[in-house]
Amino acid sequence: MEGLATATTSSGQPDQKGLKPNAISFISNVVIGVASTAPAYSLAAVLGFITLTGGVGFAGPAIMLVAFIPMLCIALAYNYMNRADPDCGTTFSWVTRAMGPSLGWMGGWAIVVADIIVMANLAQIAGVYSFQLFGLTSAAASTLDTTIVGIVWIIVMTWICWRGIELSARTQQFLLGMEFVTLVIFSVVALITVYVNHPVTLVGHTAYHSVEPQASWFNPFSIGLTPLINGMLLAVFIYWGWDTCVTVNEETEDAGRAPGRAAIVSTLMLVAIYLVVTTAAQAYGSPGLLSANANDIFAGGLAHSVLGSPLDKLMIIAVLSSASASTQTTILPTARTTFSMARQRAFPNALAHIHQRFQTPDVSTILMGALSILWYVGIVNVSSNVLGDSITAIGFAIAFYYGLTGYACAIYFRRELLKNAKNFFYIGVLPVLGGAILTGIFIKALIFYQNANNDLSKPILGIGTPVFIGIGSLLLGVVLMLIARIPYREYFSRKLEVADPAVLLDGYVTPATDGAGRS
Amino acid sequence: MSTIVVGYDASDCARAALNTAIEVGKAFGDDVHVVVAYEVHRLGGEVADFAAALAERAQQIVKLATDQAAGLHAQIQTEIVEERAADALVDVADRLDARLIVVGSRGESPLRGALVGSTPHKLMQVAERPVLVVPA
Repeated sequence: MEGLATATTSSGQPDQKGLKPNAISFISNVVIGVASTAPAYSLAAVLGFITLTGGVGFAGPAIMLVAFIPMLCIALAYNYMNRADPDCGTTFSWVTRAMGPSLGWMGGWAIVVADIIVMANLAQIAGVYSFQLFGLTSAAASTLDTTIVGIVWIIVMTWICWRGIELSARTQQFLLGMEFVTLVIFSVVALITVYVNHPVTLVGHTAYHSVEPQASWFNPFSIGLTPLINGMLLAVFIYWGWDTCVTVNEETEDAGRAPGRAAIVSTLMLVAIYLVVTTAAQAYGSPGLLSANANDIFAGGLAHSVLGSPLDKLMIIAVLSSASASTQTTILPTARTTFSMARQRAFPNALAHIHQRFQTPDVSTILMGALSILWYVGIVNVSSNVLGDSITAIGFAIAFYYGLTGYACAIYFRRELLKNAKNFFYIGVLPVLGGAILTGIFIKALIFYQNANNDLSKPILGIGTPVFIGIGSLLLGVVLMLIARIPYREYFSRKLEVADPAVLLDGYVTPATDGAGRS
Repeated sequence: MSTIVVGYDASDCARAALNTAIEVGKAFGDDVHVVVAYEVHRLGGEVADFAAALAERAQQIVKLATDQAAGLHAQIQTEIVEERAADALVDVADRLDARLIVVGSRGESPLRGALVGSTPHKLMQVAERPVLVVPA
């Protein structure tokens, strides 16, 4: 045929709108959930501070167990809201629908705040562990050196997200597998040594005697309510990120059942690994050693003492790879949240920009990285204990937006709750219970930590550092939200919505969003 | 006659690739089938607005491709595929049993291409038909 054929035509392929079904396998879904939670990094960042909390003593494992209860309840809320919202949104979208734009805006703000603050923590851990990896102990102890490496870390991670580079599923599985195996080896070796050799770890002039595990370590009633709640505010942090595997639901193979099972499997893996490592670590060095090295529990001699050289480097690599996974799952969702808020006309329009070539929300991503660096440099100068204080502060933000999500679920589905016992329990009672527990932790911890005697750093303006950061940032959000009401009037006048009853029926298929089909 | 499949993202090298594809199409009397591919990474919550924005952008890019072809008095077929670019090109080319896949190249070094994932680089590995790489 001469010349050129036909005008613009549609392709013969059947329409494939919305989310790609069957895109993520069962194993990938488990991997996503566990990797997003970043067990090795979370343990490195939090475990020491939990044992450091006044009155916790040996009850670290008990706190890990109890802290999981509200997270499980909130995960149910995520699961049902995710089914209802065809947009596969998160807290910002959901709370806006269920509880109105003001709270929705604050939910989005809390995500941004939590993620910016955690970057300082990630950067600090990355700095310390990078030096430890090469045996540069003195550099690892220098604030200036670790800060520089931390800033480079944030820049590199932001660049990766801006550039749109994603690890392949197989690489992720390999890294996570290595992380898990390392944690298990560490725990098994530590526990066997404890029973066989009764080791004594010498750090400086202090000797830390090992202790055989006891049933009371797992009993939350063995300690008072105050240390339990204060410990839980920190422990919420270690489960943070787990909800990711609930929100990638829709594309899992066999969408009806696999996501539920993937969530359960990743849950069990996480709870098990946290319990085992916590038990092994405090049996080996007693809580004393963990508290003394709260900033870097593995790098500060524990991994070396348990595994010997060079195997201890494995632990450091595991923490670093875990931290990098966590950075990715921090920058991506936050950039998406600010992107979404900008697109729904609740944030400045520039944040809705997409990079021509890399197809990533570039302005949102770079802003996140820049704010993280500013924040990191700021807090290093203010707080003598960046890691501990920032985790406590993040605890407030997480408790706030997870709690909101729990309430939003029950409110959004309010007309379905009384239809049967299953709805009432799983969509109403448990998410609200999760929200209530988190609210309780929020208030109790607020009272505790605002007393500067209970904090790691000296107070700012007479208020404890974690409270100043955690609550101050949320209050700043309230002020900004009130200001935002003026230019973004349309968003702030959005009406409340209620769930479509069809969502809960068997065989319900999430409606597709427009635009993702073929032209 | 057959089909020439060309990858397009409105960048300079993609424009060069489309020009070449139209030339080659004229020479063989082949259809020119423009593929605009984009990928929505699911990990990271709040996917909806991001996916919608990418879909809108894909529509704009299709428009740019049609305009460019019209400037050359050529007609093209267009298709938007939600898939990674290299995979999308191979899938479409296989479906249409295309004569050739045409893509633009930014001239990235092989190492950089391997590290950050260049489409021509990937295509060389997976395509089972000729690939024509056009420098910008």
